[in-house]
Amino acid sequence: MPSIAEFMQDNHKTCDNDFALAEEAALSGEWEQAQNAFIIFRDEMARHFRMEKEQLFPALTAAGGPGGPVQVMLMEHEQINDLLRQLEAALSSRNSLRYAGISETLLIVMQQHNLKEEQILYPIADRLLVKDSAAMLQRMQAA
Amino acid sequence: MNIASLSTDQAPPISVPLRFFAVAPLFLVLAALMLAMSDGNPFAAAQTPALLAATHCITLGFMAMVMMGATQQILPVVIGSPLPASRWVAWLTSVPLGAGALSLCGGFMSGNARLFNLAWPLLGVAFLVFIIAAMLSLWRATAKNVTKTAILLSICALAAAVTLGILLARGFATGTALDYAALSVAHITMALGGWVMLLIVGVSYQVVPMFQITPAYPKWLSAVLAPALFAILLLNLALLLTGAEQTWIAAAGISFWLLAVCFALVTLKLQSQRRRKVADATLNFFRLGMVSLLLAALLWLVALLLPAFDMPLRLLSAIAFIAGFAMSLIQGMLYKIVPFLVWFHLFRGGVNAVKVGIPNMKEVIPERLMWWHLRLHGGTLLVALLAPWWNPAAWLAALGLLLQGILLGYAVFTGIAVYRRTLRRIELLAV
Repeated sequence: MPSIAEFMQDNHKTCDNDFALAEEAALSGEWEQAQNAFIIFRDEMARHFRMEKEQLFPALTAAGGPGGPVQVMLMEHEQINDLLRQLEAALSSRNSLRYAGISETLLIVMQQHNLKEEQILYPIADRLLVKDSAAMLQRMQAA
Repeated sequence: MNIASLSTDQAPPISVPLRFFAVAPLFLVLAALMLAMSDGNPFAAAQTPALLAATHCITLGFMAMVMMGATQQILPVVIGSPLPASRWVAWLTSVPLGAGALSLCGGFMSGNARLFNLAWPLLGVAFLVFIIAAMLSLWRATAKNVTKTAILLSICALAAAVTLGILLARGFATGTALDYAALSVAHITMALGGWVMLLIVGVSYQVVPMFQITPAYPKWLSAVLAPALFAILLLNLALLLTGAEQTWIAAAGISFWLLAVCFALVTLKLQSQRRRKVADATLNFFRLGMVSLLLAALLWLVALLLPAFDMPLRLLSAIAFIAGFAMSLIQGMLYKIVPFLVWFHLFRGGVNAVKVGIPNMKEVIPERLMWWHLRLHGGTLLVALLAPWWNPAAWLAALGLLLQGILLGYAVFTGIAVYRRTLRRIELLAV
């Protein structure tokens, strides 16, 4: 059984790959393919955020985890959602240049966000939730 | 909802890293002027005054300036622990570093003892403040990872390099009899092989997978590389300072460069496996940097086999390392960091920022500027590698450096201007 950190890190990688596929298609003007890849990416991101917002973060703060960093992570989810909406707009107006600029921004925002979670928050979660980690993984997978 | 009010982020204010990035390009311009002011070809020998002055303009005024500014930004993200008193630390490092670099270069050009005596205390203060602040941040950090280890070791190496540098500068000023040859090799090794190499290794573990979506560095490499490099450097330092046999010193050198080759090859391989295939100037700066590191290693190893050509080969190896490896990576990174910082800090303007419309990263610094800079940088590197033999190449290298300083300075100021302009619009909306 993976740890919470390993499971979530894997899920970040899935999101990264989906991101790259959508970006490549949009920048080469394959709009239909880009549309499909973007929907997969957007939905995977939404699922990841749900796992954190509805399951992991509340359990973490209830177990005495740090409230401040959790708030920062939730704020960054909003930043990322805002950029996802802008990407969607660039996609529907078929503007590769605009898509490229927003996706470059999204990539860095997303990566530094992931880094903070992977280096700081998830290891804390593994420590504090050690007894319920199997149940937590199950609940997150169902999210 | 005001997003800015929610922010408890540990990132320092934007003015902290940007002041370092804004000043650094001036030192490239200054380095070019030092080379141009030389009597004859500055690359004709390893230690001409103009070459020493220009090198320190680049390593202190440009490289250390950017590296210290970027560390302030990177530590909170990578290890979850900011530098304490970031504004104070920024003032107390950037100002004495800039002033110290200027006086040291003046000292090399003129041979004036007073300038050396002015330089070493200034540089001592700048680095001492930075080392203490960075160590405090590392000590407080709860995160444990390979990057933290590499950064910690790179700062230890910096402490050694600075101590040796101060000894040398004081020695020049007072005319003290010292083993200058051994001490300078030890200083260069700790500064470039230690501080620069280890910091780049540690940061690469994070940013290479991050920018291009590549696999992570393999554990067999990331777990041992920085500690092994550091151990070799310590051994090398002990050998140099105790006057050990050249064979042992050469063996330490060979092991260092073989590890460096390993790092460069693995990085290039990871980048070739990247998921993100879109064209990117930073990626190319990185690849040029890694190829230059391989070249630096090759030149150094060939110099061992051909002692008759020791001088030009080792000088070329140093050029490949500083101008090719370190400068490529630093410039490539700046083209990601500056646009990101501008976007990130504008986004803190909350709802009004969203209404005004924050420029995305590609609207902060025009991309074609980065591609031009990449070509210019590659060209400058090529002519610099020809400079020991061909006088016109030395002047072309100086010209290339001058243009790079101007271009990079323009790019950073464009970023700052975009930030200020957008911020004003956000504030107007808030009134």
